[in-house]
Amino acid sequence: MIRKIAFNLFAWALVLAVAFPLFWMLVTSVKPQFELFRRPPTILPETWTFEHYIGLLKETNFLNYFWNSIILSTTTTLIVVAIATIGAYSLVRFKYRGRETLAFLVLFTYLLPSVVLILPLYLMLVQLGLSNTITSLVIAYTTFALPYALWLLRSFMAGIPEDLESAALVDGATRLGAFRDVILPQLLPGIISTALFTFILSWNEYLFALVLVNSDEARPLTTGVMNMLVSSFNIEWSLLMAASVMMSVPLIIVFAFLQSYLTRGFGAGGVKG
Amino acid sequence: MATRPKTLLERHYALLGLALIAPTVLVFCAVIVYPLISAIYLSLFSIFTPTLEGEWVGLANYRELLTSGDFWSALRVNLIWTIGTLTLQIVAGVGMALILHQNIWFRSLARSLILFPYFVSTVVAVLVWKWLFNDLYGILNHLMMTAGIIDWPIDYLGMMPNALISVILVGAWKYFPFVVIAVLARLQTIPDALYEAARIDGAGPVARFFDVTLPQLRDVLVVIIMLRAIWDFKEFDLIFLLTGGGPVNSTETLPLLVYKEAFALNQMGMASAYAVVMMLIMLVFMILYVRRTRSVDGA
Repeated sequence: MIRKIAFNLFAWALVLAVAFPLFWMLVTSVKPQFELFRRPPTILPETWTFEHYIGLLKETNFLNYFWNSIILSTTTTLIVVAIATIGAYSLVRFKYRGRETLAFLVLFTYLLPSVVLILPLYLMLVQLGLSNTITSLVIAYTTFALPYALWLLRSFMAGIPEDLESAALVDGATRLGAFRDVILPQLLPGIISTALFTFILSWNEYLFALVLVNSDEARPLTTGVMNMLVSSFNIEWSLLMAASVMMSVPLIIVFAFLQSYLTRGFGAGGVKG
Repeated sequence: MATRPKTLLERHYALLGLALIAPTVLVFCAVIVYPLISAIYLSLFSIFTPTLEGEWVGLANYRELLTSGDFWSALRVNLIWTIGTLTLQIVAGVGMALILHQNIWFRSLARSLILFPYFVSTVVAVLVWKWLFNDLYGILNHLMMTAGIIDWPIDYLGMMPNALISVILVGAWKYFPFVVIAVLARLQTIPDALYEAARIDGAGPVARFFDVTLPQLRDVLVVIIMLRAIWDFKEFDLIFLLTGGGPVNSTETLPLLVYKEAFALNQMGMASAYAVVMMLIMLVFMILYVRRTRSVDGA
């Protein structure tokens, strides 16, 4: 019994140590500025304040960046998941020459470093006159999101029994009819997982946003918030922590309600030993 | 089966299959294959980034790269970073997975808390750690001084070897949850009978770990190590945002060098050469991983 309690305490001490930076982010974001410089630091805020959140929304470009990130991530996710769903269906359930090579290419690009693609992409998008637009970022984000989504959906698709589709075909359904009525409903959890992963990847992306967008109209949160750090003369940590919390809001929502989809995605993402 | 003539339906299906994969192939060609080829092509030019004008220099970029100290220093830092952070991720990840596999209080909450750093944006992670690392008001210096580990505040990011160690630690913190989840999933499929048998044979907890758990985890660990090695090797955001490669260039890895050449030194051609060489190095890991995945798929 005592051993069990000791082990539990030990386990939770480790978990809390890992979670501490995030706890500290929350605490700092609701402390008044002067309390940050107190020695010794207060673990819980003496005075709670939401002035940083209000200031963030009213006096900075935060909302603008937030909105850009929402549009950018949603568009990327919709396009990528649509293309990847039919692509994965084709890769898993159809037979044609070059199919294996294609699957191999998908896995290969899934591992490719962005840094290799970014220079030619930059040149390409500048020449197309798309630099400094959200569109340019959507195009750039497909480079990592599409291989990722394809790879994930391919394993989900492989997990659906082939008999179901055959039965529908015997009953007189067309291939596309069977896809719509039999495969899609079965694949739905996988599609949700993939969409969540794609959304989070796009939401968190930094390098492409740094290189391709240099105007506040199109800037997403990642580079926008970093700019707030770099451009301010004396760093307002509470404000930055409030921005960090707000930036993690979509993630917190996913964690609270849809976490099982995230862990399912892990299993499918090529880590099946 | 190759000798049998294809029926009309089969041919129809093959066409449908091709139609469904067509969007993927088109996008792949436009945003991945074409840029990949032009990256190699660009590396043969000397290009001034602001004007994007350049002249053919052949292999001069590569010759310069291999003889310059920058490349070798970045490669060295890159390897230290990758090996350091990967080792910590694996050790911490397996350890935490073993703990979370036990029936501890509020297990699902604990799992969520552990998972969070992995999904949080690198920008958020870096901002939080910069605040923790702050030399005057950071909590880390305060805690370490209270505990008597240090006498004076430490400069975590502005000095060597602190900067590299800090970057490695933050990388481990951010990415070890990946190992936890992957290992945890595997642990749940190890049959209890194996542990029972070991217990009957008189094996203690430590012996059971080495004789039962570790052999069972071997395959998944190999996959995790290869994947994480590839991802850690190409990491840009975390290092760039934490130290920017500094102090001077002591935490500058290859991806950061590519960025610096292209957008700070305005040498687009040279930067492409760095990127191509970096990809060639990674190709070794990538081929290993792809081959392994294919053999697992085929079995």
